[in-house]
Amino acid sequence: MSTYNPSMDAPIDQPTMYGLLAEFHDPQSLMNAANTLRKNGYYRWDCYTPFPVHGLDKVMGQRPSPLPVVVFTVATMGCIGMLALAWFCNAFDYPIIVSGKPFWGLGPHMFLAFPVTVLSSVITTFYATFIFCKLPIFRHPLFTSERFRRATDDGFFIAVEARDAKFDLKVTTELLNNAGALAVEEVRD
Amino acid sequence: MTTIEIPQRRLETGYDNTAEDCISREPLVTGEATYHAVTKIVCATPEARRAPKIWYVCFTISLMLLCVLFLTIAYQVFTGVGVWGNNSPDAWGFDIINFVFWVGIAHAGTMISAILLMFRQRWRTGINRFAEATTVFSVLCAGIYPAIHVGRPWFAYWLLPYPNIMGDWPNFYSPLLWDALAVGTYSTFSFLFWYFGMVPDLATLRDRAKTRLRYTLYGVFALGWRGSARHWKIYDRGMIIMGGLACALVLAVSSTVSTDFAVSQIPGWHETIFPPYFTVGAIFSGFATVIALAIPARHLFGLKDLITERHMDNLGKLMLVLSSIVLYIYLIEFFTAYYSGNIYERFAYYNREFGPYWWMGWAMMFCNGVIPQALWFKKARTTWWLSLPIALLALFGMWTERFSIIVTSIHRDFLPSSWHMYSPTIIDIGMFAGSFGLFFTLFLLFCRFLPMVAMSEVKSILPQSHTHLPEECRNAE
Repeated sequence: MSTYNPSMDAPIDQPTMYGLLAEFHDPQSLMNAANTLRKNGYYRWDCYTPFPVHGLDKVMGQRPSPLPVVVFTVATMGCIGMLALAWFCNAFDYPIIVSGKPFWGLGPHMFLAFPVTVLSSVITTFYATFIFCKLPIFRHPLFTSERFRRATDDGFFIAVEARDAKFDLKVTTELLNNAGALAVEEVRD
Repeated sequence: MTTIEIPQRRLETGYDNTAEDCISREPLVTGEATYHAVTKIVCATPEARRAPKIWYVCFTISLMLLCVLFLTIAYQVFTGVGVWGNNSPDAWGFDIINFVFWVGIAHAGTMISAILLMFRQRWRTGINRFAEATTVFSVLCAGIYPAIHVGRPWFAYWLLPYPNIMGDWPNFYSPLLWDALAVGTYSTFSFLFWYFGMVPDLATLRDRAKTRLRYTLYGVFALGWRGSARHWKIYDRGMIIMGGLACALVLAVSSTVSTDFAVSQIPGWHETIFPPYFTVGAIFSGFATVIALAIPARHLFGLKDLITERHMDNLGKLMLVLSSIVLYIYLIEFFTAYYSGNIYERFAYYNREFGPYWWMGWAMMFCNGVIPQALWFKKARTTWWLSLPIALLALFGMWTERFSIIVTSIHRDFLPSSWHMYSPTIIDIGMFAGSFGLFFTLFLLFCRFLPMVAMSEVKSILPQSHTHLPEECRNAE
């Protein structure tokens, strides 16, 4: 039995060109091809690999993600917010004398501030990662390609989008072929 | 049988996977180590039409125990906490023992995933998913106890600081509140971390799906992951951040749990060593659980090429280190009690080893401190019929440790006329057995339907994944 493909259920429509999908044999040839594409001035393209290939971001010229800054900001707010809450509740709004302890103490309140800091950072990391990745997205032109199924198994791919200024069906196909692609196919949306 | 396999493997390949020098070892993934082979091995179980027979047997037993859990909880909620064996002066019993026990087991997953991630220990990729799953499920088991031992669980929200008509607030100096927050944070964290790491692997299962149902189900949870390099970069960074947070969290959770005891005035509880004591004990019991579950799983589900003898060897070494620290803490506790000169403190420790619960005290000493010393020998670390009993005994030992700390410290308090022996009721025992049912039901479902090994991480440590930057990119930043 072949694998299930969502395009079987999709309504037949006038397909528009999404771009070109090229398959490569291994991470090294993918990396070399990515280098070629970037040198040729392409912007709207991406590599697809079954695992994070280290160094590929450098070759693709990816900028560092703002994730750590976002997480740090929220974590700081979480920490200060929890300390402020503890101060407001136990020292300001309704002070209770418990075994003569001071109403405000940084030491015991760290037991609260620490988990809240971690909790807020973890939730932020989780959501921010997927938001920065523009996920979840359940429909993507690449999912219609049978070959692309292997991107999560053992396939290494480069997809060049048709809306790239330098995109030209013939020239780009040739470029990808010369860069060592095993196969190049058109992907339609 | 592993015992026969080691020499065979050595004959076939000339390699010894448990050797100290890396030249005489095979790569981390043995057998046919291609990307597709890794996918095939891991996906074989979720994609199989039928699970091994033993799976059905275990699952049935777990489900029955799970029913016991639901029944006992229902009975307890409708009747009241009087159905437990807790009675003054034994104000705490099975409810808190089992809570601490399960929280402890929950520590290995984070330890393996986070601390070993920070130290770049590549062998962790074979077992991290697995260990994280034990974490998620055991925190869930632990979470049951605080939820029901408040007595009237429908008022559990009183723990939260919310404006109410009485105009009061929770007392933030109360360790019970710290405890609730720490465990709540830990369960949220461990679930998110586990799921976060699983997203790319769920995408693999989606892409291999042969039916519409599987495609949709795995597809929804894979969030449309397509392995984009731009995504991987952000995702990798997110993973490192989560790992870094986890390192701190894993040391903080059991420390916070220990303050439930350490902040009180009871001899045997009121100790400054408690935070590291609880943390080390927790991680120790977590590793014992991972060993106890990894041994059957790698045999049953054909994961021997991904979880090799080397993994078991390394786990055994870590367990040995932790066991030695635990033993040191046991001994230093006795010394502190003796050196304090305080008669109540001295009595509490004398009573622990020579009182009516002497067998609990000695069981904890032997199972946690003495028997795991066998792991100094490589044979004990790599032979399953030796390491499995050691791990199971350590789990039993850790349970007796919690029993000793909690019950023997309070059953003979300051006033001899109120001394009282603690014994659990049938409801206590049913609830404890039932919590195993919950754990194993979830764990068996995980083994059957989810990727048990982190495929994308294992692929990234294969030798062929190593790449060189093109000449002109090397100096670019």
